[in-house]
Amino acid sequence: MSQAFESQSFNLNVNGVDYPVNVEMDRNLLSVIRTEIGLTGTKEGCDDCECGACMVLLDGQPVNSCSYLAVQAQGRAITTIEGVMTGDEMHPLQRNILEEGGVQCGFCTPGMILSAHALLERNAAPSEEEVRIGLSGNLCRCTGYTKIVAAVQRTAVELRS
Amino acid sequence: MTPSATAQATTRRFVRADGPDKVTGSGRYTADLSLTGTLVAKFRYAQVSHARITKLDVSAARAMPGVFAVITDADVPDVRFGPMVQDRRLFARDVVRFEGEIVAAVAAVDAETAQRAVDAIVVEYSPLPIVNDVESALSPDSPLVHEDWADYGAPGVMVRNRNDASYASIAKGDVDKALAEADFVVRSHYESDGCHAAPIEPRAVVAQWEGNKVTIWTSTQVPFDARAGVCETLELPSSRVRIIVPHLGGGFGGKCGFHYEAHVAALARIAKRPVKLVFSRREEFLAPDKRREGIVYDFETGVKADGTIIARKARLVIDNGAYTADAGFFSQLAAMHALGPYKIPNVLSEAHLAYTNHQPSGSVRAPTAPQTCWALESHTDEVANKLGMDPVAFRKLNAVDSNVEGPSGQTYGEIGVQQCIDAATAAAGYGKPLADDEAIGVAIGWWPSFASASGAYIKIDGDGSGQIITGAQECGTGAVMTLRQLAADELGMQPEDFELVYQDTSAAPYDMGATGSQTLFNNGRAVIAAAGQIADQLRELAANKLEAAAADIVLADGMAHVAGSPDRGVAIAKLAATAANGELLIGHGSGPPPPAAKAVGNTCVGDIGMTAWRAPQFSCHAVRVRLDRETGVVRVLRVSTAHDSGTIINHTGAQGQVEGGVMMGIGQALTEGTKYDDQARQRNAALLEYKLQTCADAPPIDVQFVEIYTPDAGPRGAKSLAEAPNVATAAAIGNAIAKLVGSPVRRLPMTAERVWETINAGNAS
Amino acid sequence: MSFTIAHTVDEALAAMAAGARAIAGGTDLVVGARHGKAALPGNLVAIDRLTELKSVTTTKDGVSIGALVTHHDIEMHPLLSTSYAGLADGSALVGSPSTRHIGTLGGNIMNASPAMDTGAPLAVMRAEIELRSVRGSRRVPIEELWTAPGKTSAQPDELCVAIHIPAPATRSNSAYVRLEYRRAMEIAVVGAAAFVALNDDGTIAALRVGLTAVSPTIFTGDLVGQIGRSVSDAAENAAKVSMEQATPISDVRASDSYRRHTVGVMARRAVEAAARRAAGETIAIPVNRAIGIGAAS
Repeated sequence: MSQAFESQSFNLNVNGVDYPVNVEMDRNLLSVIRTEIGLTGTKEGCDDCECGACMVLLDGQPVNSCSYLAVQAQGRAITTIEGVMTGDEMHPLQRNILEEGGVQCGFCTPGMILSAHALLERNAAPSEEEVRIGLSGNLCRCTGYTKIVAAVQRTAVELRS
Repeated sequence: MTPSATAQATTRRFVRADGPDKVTGSGRYTADLSLTGTLVAKFRYAQVSHARITKLDVSAARAMPGVFAVITDADVPDVRFGPMVQDRRLFARDVVRFEGEIVAAVAAVDAETAQRAVDAIVVEYSPLPIVNDVESALSPDSPLVHEDWADYGAPGVMVRNRNDASYASIAKGDVDKALAEADFVVRSHYESDGCHAAPIEPRAVVAQWEGNKVTIWTSTQVPFDARAGVCETLELPSSRVRIIVPHLGGGFGGKCGFHYEAHVAALARIAKRPVKLVFSRREEFLAPDKRREGIVYDFETGVKADGTIIARKARLVIDNGAYTADAGFFSQLAAMHALGPYKIPNVLSEAHLAYTNHQPSGSVRAPTAPQTCWALESHTDEVANKLGMDPVAFRKLNAVDSNVEGPSGQTYGEIGVQQCIDAATAAAGYGKPLADDEAIGVAIGWWPSFASASGAYIKIDGDGSGQIITGAQECGTGAVMTLRQLAADELGMQPEDFELVYQDTSAAPYDMGATGSQTLFNNGRAVIAAAGQIADQLRELAANKLEAAAADIVLADGMAHVAGSPDRGVAIAKLAATAANGELLIGHGSGPPPPAAKAVGNTCVGDIGMTAWRAPQFSCHAVRVRLDRETGVVRVLRVSTAHDSGTIINHTGAQGQVEGGVMMGIGQALTEGTKYDDQARQRNAALLEYKLQTCADAPPIDVQFVEIYTPDAGPRGAKSLAEAPNVATAAAIGNAIAKLVGSPVRRLPMTAERVWETINAGNAS
Repeated sequence: MSFTIAHTVDEALAAMAAGARAIAGGTDLVVGARHGKAALPGNLVAIDRLTELKSVTTTKDGVSIGALVTHHDIEMHPLLSTSYAGLADGSALVGSPSTRHIGTLGGNIMNASPAMDTGAPLAVMRAEIELRSVRGSRRVPIEELWTAPGKTSAQPDELCVAIHIPAPATRSNSAYVRLEYRRAMEIAVVGAAAFVALNDDGTIAALRVGLTAVSPTIFTGDLVGQIGRSVSDAAENAAKVSMEQATPISDVRASDSYRRHTVGVMARRAVEAAARRAAGETIAIPVNRAIGIGAAS
């Protein structure tokens, strides 16, 4: 069962920075981001593609990093929640989710923001239904989603103007 | 408590203090922490539901390279613990009683090595008969889950007998006579499955010893309770145990109680390294002694032809699981919910808490309430149907009201249940025509407020910035965040002027934790008291400076000024600078909890928790659903809620509690339920098979508050809030489904297949 | 033990000939390994960068979909989401938005799960799978590809490079519907796809039904007996045949009797939706979220 995999050395580009890593072939991207690269904003909630807490962007597309091999992410641009801000300034999604009251325990929040980010990249004017489907891979147990959806819609309006 | 003379309530929205950490990913949760040399902990679980341990050999695991500690019952003090019934040990001794019971724990250099060591532990069992359902657990010939139950320590008021870990009853009037005199008697049977809190953050614990003191970072809702558990089981004084909670990723009751802090601390002590435990989602489903209890219900209600309820009998059997944890008082809570917020002159409500070989039950958001409300309110609609009365009119007629006696004999002062019914049904458009596959169901619910000792300090530094140092625990609800608002209002400052130091048992005074919706209710009082001490200091300082009487100084907008003369003032920051060279601005608050409500008559609820309900909250939910009659799939289209939780202090936060509670209620109603195999093992311990509601399922939710200033309650006439919104949703959904199907679905969750079966049963008859 | 990234199909085939297993998005492999379904193969060749397998091309016979076209691409594709609508219905329901971005049609097919959402629609459209190896290339009718849950007739060194779907005749189209307990993040409890061709008078000219999650592999039936019948009769008969032909199991998601009943309902709905599309009506992708209980409200 626990077959030992060889380590491989490669670079991972996370939030615009190249990180040399040396990890086993079977390591998932989530654990490498959290452990080797040291960015803990990406969370592990289920390890099963069912909760979305581990969401990152890979070349702008949302990916459950719990079920993606780290070796396979080499040569691609990885964005985590830590890469969403511009300098010290929050992305409008971050600001709006905060101001709308869409954050409670906060554990789903980074993944939720990245899914919303990807959604708005491909659809600048999503309907409420499109927002709800776009965020459907991110479970939130606290908010009932209402204020999160409102924050994404508000952001879409802001970014368009 | 009367309204503070000087407080100006903040009405503008403000951003929660922990929010920036959470949206930027910089906030640290327990699993995010690492200390030099940290080892990984893993548990060996029983994996069988009831068996005697015939062999336990850890020698091979201990001998493995990279393994620093392997511990079992033999390596920890001989302590049996439990907050109500002392029926549990850290590690199984002789017998395992549910699949998630811990037999041994390992600390190793990495997860793979730890897992190999866990697998190398040799355990052999001889099977014992499995108790897999609550009704048979109470039969006189049932095997005992605990052979030695009679020897266990427990409060004297608990009524225990064999597998019945706690019996409670509420009796009033002469129920049999009244049932005989009723024009109609309706009898109903319901069953609810257990379900899970399922916070998105799986729990994690990190423990590190320095000398003879241990610091434990843990994802608990109740740090002081966790500390008490460590002290009890490892036989340590509280001064040598420090519990720190980093950001907490949700709890919903699931992270109440004392969990794995002692296991990890014990591993760390033996390994002489920091040790970290992080649960997988599967462990999160199987192991904790906190999941919502399944219940079996029988109701019998007698009514007069005019619609008046004159009698109710209820019998409930609650699934306690293998250990009692904090569920000892569930029988009294459930007995109360079985009566509901109705004025009934003759009642007999009885509830049993039955041991089984299931995962232990424990507090999950309003324990016993949502499922009992679902059963009772389904029954209530059956009674209304029998009478040919509109179910809302029937509720209006029979619901408790201000200064009217409730079912246990208690009256509740000024309450808003009738207004809640009016507001929720109006928002839902109740009574208006609907498509033939749609219906609106209505339910009312209630939930008490819990009083407890609670403390906080406040200090204002020389630059005028403040810190609130509180024992209170933030689990996401925003209750701790709102403390800033209370302090600011007392001191004429802004919420943003305060930082919070919290979730550290060695820094702050006691608080019960994020449990029982009690944080703002109790710690709010402490913060107001602490701020009041500083306000007095500021008034003295200002009085000297302004040559006025201290009693005439008003604190507002960051200034201390003479009443009636806004321009005769001095900035609070300036006074703080003055104080920094003399008597420092430090306040502390605690004070006695509000007086207990008076117990009336033979309420006889066992006295474990409270003999009478304090500041009960009321709610009405009206839910419009659509039914696919061919498949039984139900969709919730809109939820209209109204809540009486007294004064609302933070409206944004309060709305969030209602919206989240409703969403959890929809899950409980339709998709969330534990399934057991014939060996009492969970069949759906994963998020694909245990289905939480997604963003795509979430309907619009109307939130209305019936705000009534409530004396002898929380700050500013507030009651509690966080659990109450979870109570009535599933019940309202059930009543809507029953309208469409023609009879209620008698098992919760009302899965598509169960709805379909109910439709079929109706077609067949 | 090796992990290599292929930059051309030939590189990938060479690696597979040397024993490597192809990995595209990898979700099924990684999750499967974690659950002990099958250990992660020791030798992997990443094929996710093979741009030659990422295009959708129209041919004289129909359409060829590169194996690495993602579910999201299919859902959004102007041709696939109209003329091959049943496939787009299925792709739009797969997993979560992220799974649809990372998950490929080829990966879904080769995983050979009886619960896969794209299988039944491809089967009723008589898709062929192009398998290539260093030994050459061959086309397999999709129903002959699946042999058992998780098993295909492909050789270990064969790479699925494309899915070919014949062009639908005029007045024909397809639809896929599935039973869902929630509106997203579902796996098919049961599902049904239908391909319908209509005569000028609106009666059935051809009808094929495919069923998801009610037999060890995707079940398909050619309902030649329904030719010439009205759509409503044919839909009822399709429901009946589906219920009879299904061999569902009882598991944690549903009982066999509930599956048998609901697969009939799904079959009827799939036939009705496909017929409406065949008649020229636009039903948005996916049917599950356009009409009925899952529609946006």
